[in-house]
Amino acid sequence: MSDRLKSVVFAAVMCVVVSLLLTTASTGLQRFQQQNILIDKHKNILQSVGLIDPGQKIDPEGVEKLFGESIKPLWVDPTGQLIEENNRGEQSLPVYVHVKDGGIEAYIIPINSRGLWGRILGYLALEADGSTVAGFTVYKHSETPGLGGEIEKRWFQKNWIGKQIVDQAGEFVSVGIAKGAVEQVIPKQNRPHYVDGISGATLTGKYLTAGIRQILEQYEPVSIKFRNNPANIRPPDKTGS
Amino acid sequence: MNGTITKSLTALRKTKSYRDIVFALWEANPISKQILGICSALAVTVQLQTALVMSVALTLVVAFSSMIISILRRLIPRNIRIIAEVAIIATLVIIADEILKAFLYDISKQLSVFVGLIITNCIVLGRAEGFALSNPPFRSFMDGIANGIGYSSILMGVAFLRELLGSGKLFGYAVIPDVLYQIGYTNNGLMVLAPGAFIVIGLFVWLEHTLLKKNR
Repeated sequence: MSDRLKSVVFAAVMCVVVSLLLTTASTGLQRFQQQNILIDKHKNILQSVGLIDPGQKIDPEGVEKLFGESIKPLWVDPTGQLIEENNRGEQSLPVYVHVKDGGIEAYIIPINSRGLWGRILGYLALEADGSTVAGFTVYKHSETPGLGGEIEKRWFQKNWIGKQIVDQAGEFVSVGIAKGAVEQVIPKQNRPHYVDGISGATLTGKYLTAGIRQILEQYEPVSIKFRNNPANIRPPDKTGS
Repeated sequence: MNGTITKSLTALRKTKSYRDIVFALWEANPISKQILGICSALAVTVQLQTALVMSVALTLVVAFSSMIISILRRLIPRNIRIIAEVAIIATLVIIADEILKAFLYDISKQLSVFVGLIITNCIVLGRAEGFALSNPPFRSFMDGIANGIGYSSILMGVAFLRELLGSGKLFGYAVIPDVLYQIGYTNNGLMVLAPGAFIVIGLFVWLEHTLLKKNR
């Protein structure tokens, strides 16, 4: 066999063997990985409303138990009306509510925003007044570690707590990421609507700001309901309380 | 009793594997002597836990890739040998990454890209090219283990100092008593950042070079 033919045959056989190995590993382990991803999502939802602290050691059963007790997944249509999960269509939006003593403490919106290198996935929790941010978490992103990747860090996420998505006149303004420290670059009256930026990650901040604005606009009908009459909103009976 | 232990120890010292391990641990340590694999050594040594998982993953990848390449060494055509080596290494790394994602999800999230980057870690390809291609499988396997341990020893040393000085913890457990914090002790913030790792690795390199010189 000539050298060239030998190389081609070796490469071909190697490709087949390697792809078989990788497919086996990937499909064999998929079940465990997806279970982990689901638990991680639930953990992030619990974190966004402050039910568990980041870094707190908690086993998967603990997460599932806490999630089942205090979080209800719901669906709403674009006008903010609750709908049955079976009737949901393409326009329906998922929302999670944090239930405590039969009332709603906070509602949690899934975030799926553009980032610099890929989608940023996380959760933004708003208090039952429909305007105050209760927490923000990121569970998946492809930003550069140390730069845009800081969005998954505690110091960045902590700054979101207590920010307002509406201004004093009651108009929707969303929450943005400042280009630098809020204290230095944002005029005083706008400070409740901005969080500190990450140095070296201006673009990540820009895309995430735009993404969050767009998502919050979509959920505005829900937020308006909470703002108008928070006391009247109760979780649906069939799912709990 | 003592005699038999000494005898078996001397016998052990004469084996090739033992000499390989000592050589890779000390005189030719991949990190502190050959300055290879620095990237991951900087990135994953903030905590002992991540450093340990990374060490185990890298050691297994080097050992098995060296062994497989050594078994195939007469089959691999010379002109595509680098491609073949990288393909074998990449396969093992991806499998290691998948296993971490399935069973140690939180740690795999912390290690993020660095497990994947084992593929480009010079130690792995260096051992494949420099050793496995010209030695039998078992010696190559042991050589991989030896170099993995050499890498791990520095990684664990750096992580030990960084976690202790940077966050006052070891393996996540607080070891510095509260009393010390109350009388004014603070954690060294530099140790948590990458420059801290640079300095610590530099100190390790210095220490080893000085000790090696003395021995001569």
